[in-house]
Amino acid sequence: MTSPPTPRTRPPTGRRAVDAAAPSWWLRHQRALAPYVFISPFYLLYGLFLLVPIGVGLYLSCTEWAGLGTPRWVGLRNYQDLMTDSSFWTSVRNTSLYVVFTMCVVVPAALLIAQALNARGLRGRDMFRLAYFMPVVISPIVVALVFGLIFDNEFGLVNGLLEAAFGFGGVDWLGDPAWARVTVVILVLWRWTGYLTIFFLAGLQNVPKELYEAAAIDGAGPVRRFWEVTLPSLRPVTAFVAVTVLISTAQIFEEPFLLTQGGPGESTLSVAMFIFRAGFQRQQLGYAAAAGVLLFLVVFIFGLLAMRALKVGREQ
Amino acid sequence: MTVTAAHTEAPRDERRGRVARGRVLLYAFLISLLVVFALPLLWALSSSFKARSDIFSYPPQPLPLPATLENFRGLLDGQPFWSWFLTSTLVAGISTVVSVALCSLAGFAFAKYRFKGKRFLFNLMFSSLAVPFAVIVVPLFTMIAKAHLTTPYFALVVPWVAPAFGIFMMRQYTEQAVPDALLDAGRVDGCTEFALFRRIALPLLRPALGALGVWSFLASYNSLLWPLIVVSAPEDYTLPLGIQALFGATGRQYDLVLAAAVLAAVPSLLVFFLLRRQLLEGLTAGAVKS
Repeated sequence: MTSPPTPRTRPPTGRRAVDAAAPSWWLRHQRALAPYVFISPFYLLYGLFLLVPIGVGLYLSCTEWAGLGTPRWVGLRNYQDLMTDSSFWTSVRNTSLYVVFTMCVVVPAALLIAQALNARGLRGRDMFRLAYFMPVVISPIVVALVFGLIFDNEFGLVNGLLEAAFGFGGVDWLGDPAWARVTVVILVLWRWTGYLTIFFLAGLQNVPKELYEAAAIDGAGPVRRFWEVTLPSLRPVTAFVAVTVLISTAQIFEEPFLLTQGGPGESTLSVAMFIFRAGFQRQQLGYAAAAGVLLFLVVFIFGLLAMRALKVGREQ
Repeated sequence: MTVTAAHTEAPRDERRGRVARGRVLLYAFLISLLVVFALPLLWALSSSFKARSDIFSYPPQPLPLPATLENFRGLLDGQPFWSWFLTSTLVAGISTVVSVALCSLAGFAFAKYRFKGKRFLFNLMFSSLAVPFAVIVVPLFTMIAKAHLTTPYFALVVPWVAPAFGIFMMRQYTEQAVPDALLDAGRVDGCTEFALFRRIALPLLRPALGALGVWSFLASYNSLLWPLIVVSAPEDYTLPLGIQALFGATGRQYDLVLAAAVLAAVPSLLVFFLLRRQLLEGLTAGAVKS
């Protein structure tokens, strides 16, 4: 087996050699060249570990390849197969469910909590904020283990509490297809709400107090103040949060993978898990690459639409 | 724990009752959320001190009575826990140092220089945030495997050391925190551009460096999917891989893995608590600025 030359990152060393050889030239030009030197490590890595893989991925997506030997060119057959692959569509449906859920439940919940934390003269604000943020700091494998433990259908804490409170606790959280989806969604809610809250809270703290006072003088009640002052002022934060959430939830992997392995059956399988399974468990690397390209297109288009709609990225 | 000074505006008597009731509801809401967020973690902590047969006792017992250290002993004696731990912390530590250096340098360039192609290069950088990992995972793995670079110290570090998010964050912060006048004064004194960055900008950027540092450490320390794909030798396992393998190998028994999970959470929580202020403020700096 031949190994291609090792990609190496060695940003400014080459420049420095030039610097030593011709100090006057470098000193004369360093101010103009410095920014390029400073950003060059990123673009080197960008090229090697992003652009090249995208190119290779596009090529692989048109081949059949089990990882050994030469990929065999099959044109667009992988894409055609994906269109008729019911597992793939299941994963698309599940992922859409996760995305819709995070956008419609997790994001508003985070805004609500931020609003509560922004109450005037609240004691312990930092402690609450910190505690709510904690789930995202903990390794997902740890979190998934804990959830497996407390959502256990026979002896879990959740069923125990339900039993104690309502006298019925026989929910098969991880074994029933519908409940398994609910459990994954609960995990997402638990893990990400506190994280998003801090963005909204920072946004709320930046809303000028005079706006609220002016609205109050106009006779606006709390609900109208929220719609007419808070929401418009939060637009940049909301845009940031919405786009981030959209892009990251579209690639959701850890929660369903660790909690349910995509099961029972394929009821919690996500697109990223589908790609992982095809590529690294079934050795269909070309097929996995094709699914990856499709995911990219969808995320890119939706991301762009969302950015348009929310006017993100336009500076000033 | 600081609390912002309470603004009491002497509410009128009839309003006072309503306001007080609102307060009670507010604190009830916030405290019940606190329980919801903290309970699973406390439950794991408590369960890790229970004997294997007690972990699933019914009805569930909140406290580990009798408490035992058997799970921790079994883990540390029977499993290469410290090897996983070392790999994870070393990989995360190296990634953190390098990525903080690269991101702050690039962020500085984008914040403080005018140069040809800046807008294009910035957008190019920013657009990489929209590329799903799932797209590049297959080809990237293929490339790295072909090049025989699957050692964790290369594969888990190098491709990820210059995250666009970090550069964006550093640019936002540099714009606010480093005055142009200071840089110009440095130039008059004959500093090279790199010296301006190192001597003038870096000290002013310390809070943001802390934020980015925690963020990169946690991202690397907690990452699962990529290590799962690229690391195959058990002696190279990181903590998440080790725990995952142990869970499978022990027939999905919780005793050892809970002990491992509790120990694995210690560095993340430690780093988080030490640098919490920087992290929370630094993360939001980019998003809030309109």
